[in-house]
Amino acid sequence: MSRFIPLVLAVLLLLPAAPLLGTDSKIFPYDYKIEVLDNGLKVVSIPLPNPNIISYYTVVRSGSRNEIEPGKSGFAHFFEHIMFKGTKKMPRAAYDDFLAKLGAGTNGFTSDDFTCYFVVFAGRDNLAQVVETEADRFINLWYDEKMIKTEAPVIEGEYYSSVSSPDRRIFELLYDTAFEKHSYKHSTLGYLADIMDMPNQFDYSQLYKKRFYAPDNTILLVAGDFDHARLMDLVRKNYSGWEKSNYVLQTPVEPPQTKAKRGHIDWTSRTLPRLVIGFHGPAYSDEQIDKAALDLLAEAAFSPSSAIFQKLVNQEQKCQGLNAGFGDNRDPNLLVFSAVLKNEADLAYVEEEIFKELERLKAELLPADKLAAIKSNLKYSLANGLGTTDGVAGTLAGYIELTSDPGTLNKLFDLYEKITPADIQEMVKKYFVKANSTVVTLTTGGAK
Amino acid sequence: MRTVMKTCLIGILVIGMTAAAVSCKKENPAKLSSELMPLEGNPLVHLKVLVKVGSAYDPTGKEGLAQLTWNMMADGGTRLLSIREITEKFYPMAAGVRLNIDKEMSVFSGTIHRDNLEAFYAIFKDMLLDPGFREDDFTRIKTNQVNFLERGISNNDEEFGKQVLNLMLYEGHPYSHHMAGTAESVKGLTLDDVKAFYKEHFVQGNITIGLAGGYPAEFVQKITADFGKLPGTFTPKLSLAEPRRPNGLEFIIAEKQTPSSAISIGFPVALSRSSDDFFALWIAGAHFGEHRQKLSLLFQKIREQRGQNYGDYAYIEHFIQGRDKFPSTNYCRQQQYFSIWIRSLANSNRHFVIRQALLELRKLVEDGISEERFQLARTYLLNYTKLYAQTLGERLGWQIDSHYYGYQDFLAEVQAQLPKLTRDDVNRAIKKYLNFNNVYIAVITQDGEAMKKALVENTSSPVSYANPDMPREVLDEDKIIQDYKLDIKPENVRVIPAQEFFQKKGIPQK
Repeated sequence: MSRFIPLVLAVLLLLPAAPLLGTDSKIFPYDYKIEVLDNGLKVVSIPLPNPNIISYYTVVRSGSRNEIEPGKSGFAHFFEHIMFKGTKKMPRAAYDDFLAKLGAGTNGFTSDDFTCYFVVFAGRDNLAQVVETEADRFINLWYDEKMIKTEAPVIEGEYYSSVSSPDRRIFELLYDTAFEKHSYKHSTLGYLADIMDMPNQFDYSQLYKKRFYAPDNTILLVAGDFDHARLMDLVRKNYSGWEKSNYVLQTPVEPPQTKAKRGHIDWTSRTLPRLVIGFHGPAYSDEQIDKAALDLLAEAAFSPSSAIFQKLVNQEQKCQGLNAGFGDNRDPNLLVFSAVLKNEADLAYVEEEIFKELERLKAELLPADKLAAIKSNLKYSLANGLGTTDGVAGTLAGYIELTSDPGTLNKLFDLYEKITPADIQEMVKKYFVKANSTVVTLTTGGAK
Repeated sequence: MRTVMKTCLIGILVIGMTAAAVSCKKENPAKLSSELMPLEGNPLVHLKVLVKVGSAYDPTGKEGLAQLTWNMMADGGTRLLSIREITEKFYPMAAGVRLNIDKEMSVFSGTIHRDNLEAFYAIFKDMLLDPGFREDDFTRIKTNQVNFLERGISNNDEEFGKQVLNLMLYEGHPYSHHMAGTAESVKGLTLDDVKAFYKEHFVQGNITIGLAGGYPAEFVQKITADFGKLPGTFTPKLSLAEPRRPNGLEFIIAEKQTPSSAISIGFPVALSRSSDDFFALWIAGAHFGEHRQKLSLLFQKIREQRGQNYGDYAYIEHFIQGRDKFPSTNYCRQQQYFSIWIRSLANSNRHFVIRQALLELRKLVEDGISEERFQLARTYLLNYTKLYAQTLGERLGWQIDSHYYGYQDFLAEVQAQLPKLTRDDVNRAIKKYLNFNNVYIAVITQDGEAMKKALVENTSSPVSYANPDMPREVLDEDKIIQDYKLDIKPENVRVIPAQEFFQKKGIPQK
């Protein structure tokens, strides 16, 4: 049997698949079109030169943020699982078979603010079937109480899959301690007690679907090898019958934190000591400079090229890792610094060093060349991820959920360009106040 | 034995900017080889330096040396620049050097915008060709490696279970130890060990230079000249003895305090991607347990029907997940193993699910695959594999793996070979390579002795469900599973405290 065949396939794949970065170009370089159906469903289409591959994303703007009622933590994620239960026209087994035959890369994921479903597949001729099938499951999802009761323990299993992770636990406690009222208090997976009660939540699941799984809360994002007009014909034909929800979510307003908080975890098996520090920060905005300035600060203060990283990780070698994670969220969320240490005895020292670094940044302006390096890093980091249809759709999904406008990505990078060292200093002073902080530590206690 | 196509760097001619790989047979095993994928107009360049030396080449008593040495290059300073200076220079380009290490090969790689190729390469080259081997880097990297073995690996029970299975699969074999080594062996490593390992193994004949994307034609000559200064020697490919086959059902229970159990099951298979039967067994594997896809029969039976855990999968070769859920490339091995991954589940259900997985394996071996499932799994693979090679790194990675296993283009070969197969081919391959009587099972759980007693005594293991109206066929099948008799000998079940693993070489002795 010969293993050598012509190189036709390889040559077909040899097309440019990532943008050029020029000084005048927009950070998101691809042309896209936006159309909105009468029922409020927004469609963002991004035809790309990647041959014969299409990424079909459905972004539902509902995540753990929407879990505002007691006992319902983790519900957005649970409902993501329910969304794979099929319809009367195409029951679960038939839906699974459809995806298997398509050979699609498919899944869903849930975050703080949104739930995303994707089908990535080869063959532009398959688009019609995918649109029809996805529309059917979003409009006509059908499941009964028995299916809920069987699916709920899967979430318990998912919880167990990461139960041995100290990182998950320390972040859970950080958010639970820092927040009093807002639903960011709990993790996307939810409290274990709420997970255990999911088998009994059939009625609530119906209400949840009615409120949030509606065209006026959903965005279709399609990237790859297809024709826009053809896509829109298919979308109109299949999604126009989907009814609006008109539900308006009122998330609880988090009161300002006035006193520093602390938490501690005694971990039962052997691990390295950990420290996380969270400050309440601003919501995402592509107009106000607060969050954008803090994005730049996170890089300046804690990236591997920063002074404190070099000191604690490379020179003194007190930490194995050091990180700053300032997520983009629709409501104000935490700005988090985290450290994995080598010795428990250094916990107080590392905590003090992080606060000292923040104080230094209040007193000293960030050098202009450092700021330029950060802006350059952010641009290249983003560009490096735009080489596949999934990279394009996935990157954009993470921004489009925030404002429902794909243009927000370019607006954000324009905003970065305008930010000065003085802007950053002002934001450090505004947000990194001790009374606004929550510190959580994790040590191994008896399990040395 | 198949002919492996390689690109010779000496005297290479790049035909135009859109030329596909220029191939010629590699004549001299002591010289560099290359894999080229020029893509005119692509703004990115992906660079790989693949070394055909991994942890299986660690000298006895110095387990973990390959990882430590390669990390000293990927995460340490050069003779001229400290790691701090390197990080600062890389930062505005959003550049970095990534290291993947496996048993028989390791890869240094980076993706860079072509604006920055020259600046990036100047440093990348020195990291690999003129490493600093500085004391402070050595202390940092070695401590991290020891910390991982002593206090990191058990932070993920599912990964821990896979590593315990690896110990069982390859006891006394060069694949046996973790890539990071053991806490004891790594503590004993010195900077001189690192320098000696580098000198012996980072040599031309072990290295394949990979380039993909919009690099300029002259870049090939430049990199060839630079790496061509390395010694013109090579490390002979390992001659591996057959790994020991399990004798019956052999268990290791790694005991720790935990509410859930992670289970990995497997045995060696005498087959690799080069084998004629590979495609047939691959269809069987996709049907039985395709990674994180609903096609997986185990997923359907254990998760979808019964809600026992988050997922259940099976593999006919070593599998590392790459982008999304696709397989990673450049983890090629001479020897492979079959495995089942049962994700964490409540301790109360562990015995039942082990029985269920082994019963499903038995049914697969005895009954084979149905025509309907054969067609479905084949169609799935024909379409899904079209998504495998999208990024520059993936395309180049698949090209390298194709050549390793003797194909010009493995993914194209999939399209050519799968349509020719029949259900009978698949069932013959299943019977030839898989079995259900001689199997290793690694379990991370608590109350190990109680579990051992239940296993050995074949205690009934019924499960209960939140759903009071479970389908009749599921409940009927459960009655068979809960009392499915497994022939487990007491001497074949070892209960070992979890913290004892990876401290010394091999499986900890009681």
